[in-house]
Amino acid sequence: MIRKAVYLLSLFCLWLLIMGKAGEPGPEYYTLKLPDSLPKPVYDFSKNPLTKQGIALGRYLFYDPKLSKDSSVSCGFCHQQFAAFGHFDHALSHGIMGRVTSRSVPTLFNLIWQKDFMWDGGVNHLEVQPISPITNEDEMGMDLKELITRLQGNKTYKRMFKDAFGTEEVNSQRMLKALSQFMAIMISFESRYDSVMRKEPGVTFTPEEQGGYRTFQQKCAACHKEPFFTDFSMRNNGLPYLPSMNDIGRMKITNNTADYLKFKVPSLRNVLVSSPYMHDGRFFDIFQVFAMYDHGQEKGNTIDPLLKNGIPLSEKEQRQLYMFLNTLTDKKFINNKDLKEIMIED
Amino acid sequence: MRYCLLLISLFVLKGAKAQTLQLNLNHTVNGVPMALGNTTYLNAAGDTFNITVFRYYLSNFSVTDIAGNTIKAAPECFLVSEDSLNSKRITLKLPEGRYKGLSFMIGIDSLLNCTGAQSGALDPIYGMFWTWNSGYIMAKLEGTSPSSHLPGHIIEFHIGGYRAPHITQRIVNLTLPQTLVLKSSAKINLTADAYTWFNGISFRQVAGFMTPGTAADRIADNYQHMFSVKN
Repeated sequence: MIRKAVYLLSLFCLWLLIMGKAGEPGPEYYTLKLPDSLPKPVYDFSKNPLTKQGIALGRYLFYDPKLSKDSSVSCGFCHQQFAAFGHFDHALSHGIMGRVTSRSVPTLFNLIWQKDFMWDGGVNHLEVQPISPITNEDEMGMDLKELITRLQGNKTYKRMFKDAFGTEEVNSQRMLKALSQFMAIMISFESRYDSVMRKEPGVTFTPEEQGGYRTFQQKCAACHKEPFFTDFSMRNNGLPYLPSMNDIGRMKITNNTADYLKFKVPSLRNVLVSSPYMHDGRFFDIFQVFAMYDHGQEKGNTIDPLLKNGIPLSEKEQRQLYMFLNTLTDKKFINNKDLKEIMIED
Repeated sequence: MRYCLLLISLFVLKGAKAQTLQLNLNHTVNGVPMALGNTTYLNAAGDTFNITVFRYYLSNFSVTDIAGNTIKAAPECFLVSEDSLNSKRITLKLPEGRYKGLSFMIGIDSLLNCTGAQSGALDPIYGMFWTWNSGYIMAKLEGTSPSSHLPGHIIEFHIGGYRAPHITQRIVNLTLPQTLVLKSSAKINLTADAYTWFNGISFRQVAGFMTPGTAADRIADNYQHMFSVKN
């Protein structure tokens, strides 16, 4: 008898639940279109399914300077779309009140395949990555608790959080998940290189580009592995240590001397639109990078075994490599309207 | 479908039968009740010091019944802070029974350290999450000591690290002084003594540590022994 009552009650509850939900517009799911050839993303979308409203909120947050202490610096301030979300013409990232950090702004794309973040891999998940620049006193300098309070008092955010997550509650988890949704759709696989690889009709490499591709495969691809053009590892590439910067790289994270001067291998996609180069942005021209590998390395204890003899590059190889790298620029990505900066009115 | 609903209902009924075990936490320094601010304490190395912040995570609670079975409480994390009375009252839901032991973890599971944005007690707004080297600060003690060579003579210990070889979560297994009969509700008074943290540590040598590393591991080995059952 009791069982039957409980059963009926459960059924009634279920009915209430279904009736309650119906008619209320929920967030609309968004399907991320990815080339079939790619491996499964590292990012777990089951815990943060993409929705149009979630992405819209993420984009709004990304371009909102209110995320910084004095409302002067947004995420998009340093991560500029035309530079593949790197910072055009700035060696070192800078933040509120003219403060400067010790590292260059990394580009943002294909982040859902990335296991760790920052030049030293210190951040272990896409969702917690934004906390770092938001709270860093040399970047956006904002206390996280203060930021959540600020957003909670904002009508636009209340509405947008409700649209994205069902209720007006503004909390750090929702904010970070929304930012991750926006960053997740920063996908770059539409370069001319990709068209050539997909054998799209009428698209081929010029002989110079083809030569560059050969050099790339022979001399660069072990670390800058296709199709991401990085193997996501940390290595000491022989870049000379600068006492004035005293940046020990990965060792700062692990306290392990074996990680001294190791930095993340950056992707070469969009490389020619995202200068300057290296973790401290010391090279403004890609030919300076070629020169470093050819004859400018400092070979300390932790130099990568693949690079301990440098990478000899003739003038012709360098020229052709440049031509090839040019095919990695994804114009559709850097002009993608869905990623464009939006005006924040209040 | 029918069975599924039945199961859900049974689960709900079973859940409703859970009893309440309240843990009351008290903080001391070498047996003296902890007071934040100007009260001066002495560590084992003979340094005087005061405490301004004392905060830590507890999680993975379980009890052992008199037959030796382990019963896990619902997976929940608690942030305990000396400056918040509410945080020092932890309520666990457990089945009726007779228990002889209590276990829990100081800190947060490795998995929760690396699976993205969390909420509740794990919300990074509480300042217990490292932003530049992801992971939770398992326990935090701040204050000052004349022995400290740091600016302002501060002492600042943010203990964390969830990746080998620097792991700072510690499991605490406590034997209850008498069998706890849990029927509707019961209380346990737990004391955490901050004195244990600095066993073998002088503030002259180490006055602060705020990354994963050997010094953090050592303090974690120490704070594993900070708890005792009062009643």
